[in-house]
Amino acid sequence: MTESTNIAAGMDIDEAAIDEGLYSPKNVALAGVKSVTIYDPEPVTIKDLSSQFFLREEDVGKSRAEATLPRLAELNAYVPVRNLGGVAGQEVTVDLIQGFQVIVLCGASYATQLEINDWTHQHGVHFIAAETRGLFGSVFNDFGPKFTCVDPTGEQPLTGMIVSVAKDEEGLVTCLDETRHGLEDGDFVTFTEVKGATELNACEPRKVTVKGPYTFTIGDTSNLGTYESGGIFTQVKMPKIIDFKSLRESTKAPEFFITDFAKFDRPATLHVGFQALSEFRLQHKRFPRARNAEDAASVLSLAKNIDADVDEKILTELAYQATGDLAPIVAVIGGFVAQEVLKACSAKFHPTVQHLYFDSLESLPSSLPSEQDCQPIGSRYDGQIAVFGKDFQEKIANHRQFLVGSGAIGCEMLKNWSMIGLGSGPQGIIHVTDLDTIEKSNLNRQFLFRSKDLGKFKAEVAAVAVSEMNPHLRGKILAKQEPVGPATEGVYDADFFQAIDGVTNALDNVKARLYMDQRCVFYRKPLLESGTLGTKGNTQVVIPNVTESYASSQDPPEKETPSCTVKSFPNAINHTIEWSRKQFENLFIKPPQAVNAYLSEPNYLETTLKYSGSSKDQIEQIVSYLVTDKPLTFEECIVWARLQFERDYNNEIRQLLFSLPKDATTTTGQPFWSGPKRAPDPLVFNSSDPTHLSYIISAANLHAFNYGLRGETDPAVFRKVADSVIVPEFQPRSGVKIQVSENEPVAQADGGGDDLDDVVSKLPSPSSLAGYRLTPVEFEKDDDTNHHIDFITAASNLRATNYKIEVADRHTTKQIAGKIIPAIATTTSLVTGLVCLELYKIIDGKTKLEDYKNGFVNLALPFFGFSEPIAAAKNKYGSTEWTLWDRFEFPNDPTLNDIVSYFKSSHNLEITMVSQGVSMLWSSFIGKKKVKFARSMDYAVFHSRRGCQSEERLPMKFSKLVEFVSKKAIPPHVKHLVVEIMVSDEEGEDVEVPFLVVQI
Amino acid sequence: MSITAAAMRRIMRELTDLRKGPPEGIRIQTNEEDMLDVTGIIEGPEGTPYAGGYFKVKFKFTEEFPAAPPKCWFATKIFHPNVSNTGEICVNTLKKDWKSTYGIEHILVTVKCLLIYPNPESALDEEAGKLLLENYSSYCDRAKLITSVHATPRKRPVEFDTPSVSSSSTQEGTSSTSAKISAPTPTSPTPTSSSSTFTLPIVTRKSASPAPPSKSDKEGVVSPSKERHASPSPLGTADANVGGKAGPVTMSMAATPAVTATKAVKRAATGGAATGAEKRKKALKRL
Repeated sequence: MTESTNIAAGMDIDEAAIDEGLYSPKNVALAGVKSVTIYDPEPVTIKDLSSQFFLREEDVGKSRAEATLPRLAELNAYVPVRNLGGVAGQEVTVDLIQGFQVIVLCGASYATQLEINDWTHQHGVHFIAAETRGLFGSVFNDFGPKFTCVDPTGEQPLTGMIVSVAKDEEGLVTCLDETRHGLEDGDFVTFTEVKGATELNACEPRKVTVKGPYTFTIGDTSNLGTYESGGIFTQVKMPKIIDFKSLRESTKAPEFFITDFAKFDRPATLHVGFQALSEFRLQHKRFPRARNAEDAASVLSLAKNIDADVDEKILTELAYQATGDLAPIVAVIGGFVAQEVLKACSAKFHPTVQHLYFDSLESLPSSLPSEQDCQPIGSRYDGQIAVFGKDFQEKIANHRQFLVGSGAIGCEMLKNWSMIGLGSGPQGIIHVTDLDTIEKSNLNRQFLFRSKDLGKFKAEVAAVAVSEMNPHLRGKILAKQEPVGPATEGVYDADFFQAIDGVTNALDNVKARLYMDQRCVFYRKPLLESGTLGTKGNTQVVIPNVTESYASSQDPPEKETPSCTVKSFPNAINHTIEWSRKQFENLFIKPPQAVNAYLSEPNYLETTLKYSGSSKDQIEQIVSYLVTDKPLTFEECIVWARLQFERDYNNEIRQLLFSLPKDATTTTGQPFWSGPKRAPDPLVFNSSDPTHLSYIISAANLHAFNYGLRGETDPAVFRKVADSVIVPEFQPRSGVKIQVSENEPVAQADGGGDDLDDVVSKLPSPSSLAGYRLTPVEFEKDDDTNHHIDFITAASNLRATNYKIEVADRHTTKQIAGKIIPAIATTTSLVTGLVCLELYKIIDGKTKLEDYKNGFVNLALPFFGFSEPIAAAKNKYGSTEWTLWDRFEFPNDPTLNDIVSYFKSSHNLEITMVSQGVSMLWSSFIGKKKVKFARSMDYAVFHSRRGCQSEERLPMKFSKLVEFVSKKAIPPHVKHLVVEIMVSDEEGEDVEVPFLVVQI
Repeated sequence: MSITAAAMRRIMRELTDLRKGPPEGIRIQTNEEDMLDVTGIIEGPEGTPYAGGYFKVKFKFTEEFPAAPPKCWFATKIFHPNVSNTGEICVNTLKKDWKSTYGIEHILVTVKCLLIYPNPESALDEEAGKLLLENYSSYCDRAKLITSVHATPRKRPVEFDTPSVSSSSTQEGTSSTSAKISAPTPTSPTPTSSSSTFTLPIVTRKSASPAPPSKSDKEGVVSPSKERHASPSPLGTADANVGGKAGPVTMSMAATPAVTATKAVKRAATGGAATGAEKRKKALKRL
């Protein structure tokens, strides 16, 4: 990695610009950031505490760089942090920046920016200038005249199988099975495994012209061999050269990166505005005063000197807010700039060309503050008061939020909240819950945690950490460990929800998100939702009675691989990894669970036997794990692992080849093993092959874990035992070849002729093993000593070797197996910043759809997109319009009949089904209608029984009915039930109606 | 709740529709304690080795439904190339070809079609796949045997007492998708001697299906043509090699249940003459 050093000058915008890149050792490794140096000799003022979370009140008066340094250094021990020193009042100069690779200027004057950039542009140093003013932010990039971007998207190279290559001047390539290639014009590809036109294999990258979703051309192929079969294309990422202009040049003819297409002309306006601000600062040695009309007017006239047609309203706001300093805007710009720094260092992802202007003017309160209201009051919130005023600051302080999750997003969110003083007032409160404790892998990006906190509850540690950042929050953050879910509705009950103003999700799974969404809809609370996926992030605002809810739209989930591909026909490493995940379950999780179920559940066998499908296999497995193959020593576990190796990577493969030989053909005469089907070869065990041995070591240890036997890691032991195992000769099962007919069944040769009863008789009675249990493995990807990922890697790679698929290393396997897309600090910072900009609007109580914004970003491209939230869909019954926020309320535990009659008499609607939770309380198909429909056969009898049931239920009190059907008691804390009904109108047409809330 | 309220409403609607007007040869069992515990019953289509059998297919819905397909597997033992011995089903509809508009009915109809057109090329049970490719009549015999032992009840499941929705009323829906249901390039060597045992129940679209057993008398009957547009293109077996060579034909799902039922009952009755069935069962255990 290259020696690469960043420098930031002028701390008042944001240390995040530098330190975000440091949180993650991974980012550092990727980027090659070797050290960070900061320059900021200005003394800390109380106002700096509005957004600079490394500063404390006791730091006031020290140099900002000096006060920040130790806390910055603490984040990542691998990255040295230095302070350039300097004298207060002195801006950074060219002399100070010699020897650095990336220079980030934060909030420097325009003159300084020009001076430094002129030098960096000449000397091949990457330059970034960033600035935030109130709700506005600006970033400028100059990575030099010939910047090489190695991988503009950061996406995996596309790859796919092909079925033909035409011999032509413009050779057409066709993909297998109508699989979309996903390529674009101008992409480059190379090939492997092509038969016939072998010149294509490992050829120099060929430029692609897309002809259709399944076809593309690759230039002249007429002099190549004639294509026969097979082949895989793989995209080759070609470096892109970007010609950056210097700031001096770029100011005259700026190229804007658009952040919000609804504000199309905003960048041009702000481009002028920021210059005018800088000019004002030069003339007056200060920024325009908060909401001061006189200062704003002079900024405006300065701006008009540059461009006479600027948007006066916007520029007046910019001038008004110039002394403002908002943690959320700093988080957005800081996260963005940090990613640009990484792009400059690593050449991975496409850098921004060249100016970014961002604002969130919509976050201003609907009743604008007065000049008086915005005057500094000597508080740490002065930077925020300058924008929103004192009154709004009080609203922020007295707000009551519930933060669900205290991981990557949660930590950043709490940091922002502590900076803006959320919940710090007499009425204010922050609830935060997270069931997790802190693990080692959290430390690199969940920046509130340090290694001394390992094992402690996340929510508690995070609450303490941010209370230290802002002591006003001491005692104001209530940390909980109860996860949200149906089981904790006694904790997060009606009183809890009524006492909060809104909920912020900081979750990592869809299930919990859907659950919180449902709770927020029920209690009609605003919900702020966000998520990140690598460099991608999104935010969503849910406002009661206005927007749709989180559940209203679903992301398309990842498509699963067909099971036969995984079982017999893998052709990519993710197929073998999926297979090895299943192996992991089938060897170390499910059998011990089945054994334990047999030992602990009465009548386990009987209930299993009811499903005749695979019960025999299951029982045989229990016998094997509990009796015949139960290991007593660790050595026996090694033997077991060795035999398992033989079974999975040799015998099964040979069996498959026995059934489907390599020269097998399909009915149409085509070779069976062609296209996506790769013919496998059996493996021969070799204890000196590291993958073979790794399999034996991990499998034996996991097996031993099941039985509570002590493990072993000395490879010599494994080698010795594994090599001495006598492996039974493989005999293919040929049973299916033998003719069978109904009248004359012939004994089969497959898998032992044991009768089920014989198998069962081998089982010891559960009572004879009272208290004995196996220990199923619980998959944990982050513990490097538990052999889990080792096993999955070895198993997947062995199978990949069977099928001649390129193997994957442990790290890659772990990422795919754990479905991990690493969270990165830059995206998290940006996304939480966007969420907080929406939170301002919720605190203000905005109710118009167009006041809010959902955001979508991808820092890699980069891309910003904002959209108005989607309005809650309107439905109609009769003449009444309704949305997901409406409901029918029934007090006093009514009977089912009361509800049925209400809909009949008040809405002329017939109920056809009633459900609560997953229980079907009543439905017409068990009711009277049935008899009319089916008046044949023995239906009368059938119906009358059902009919009684229906009549029995109608007079029941609702709570009794629910308990009756669900066969479960309603927990005492439940005061109401959410009920879904289906109804039809007079014509028998289905009508959608809101859900019901039944008080019990 | 493990699924969204909207998904729950969808399932409620589908359960009602499927209980009131199920498609031919397909019924469902519902569990009022847990509506997500849905069991489909597929009647083995006539002319296949599964005829006479009733196959249970279990569903499990996740919170991603309907964006993601439900988990779906055979709870009845079946000898079929695309069904593993644990009941797993290999159909693209349940994996990469899933669309959020699909539902329980679509899956069941697709699986039923899979019983008619197995796809040995994407076998999960490669022994069954191999047998089907190499020796069709052996495959049939074995599948029949497994069907008679594991899937043939003494009495037809009561769910089949409810008549299916009349095929005439589904005509519209069927015809709209029939173009997609092209006749399969026989994946099995049917044209050999064994062909007589396996007549594909294919009729051309226009040919009249047997009159529906139930008359829709106006009141109380859901108009079944509604919401039935989702008559699926069924042959999305993984890597299906059913080409579009033949003209549009449609499968008749209209073997009248009454006939099937009596057959099944008869079979059960004759087979049930004590010893025969016992012997067969015993023999099969050795399979």
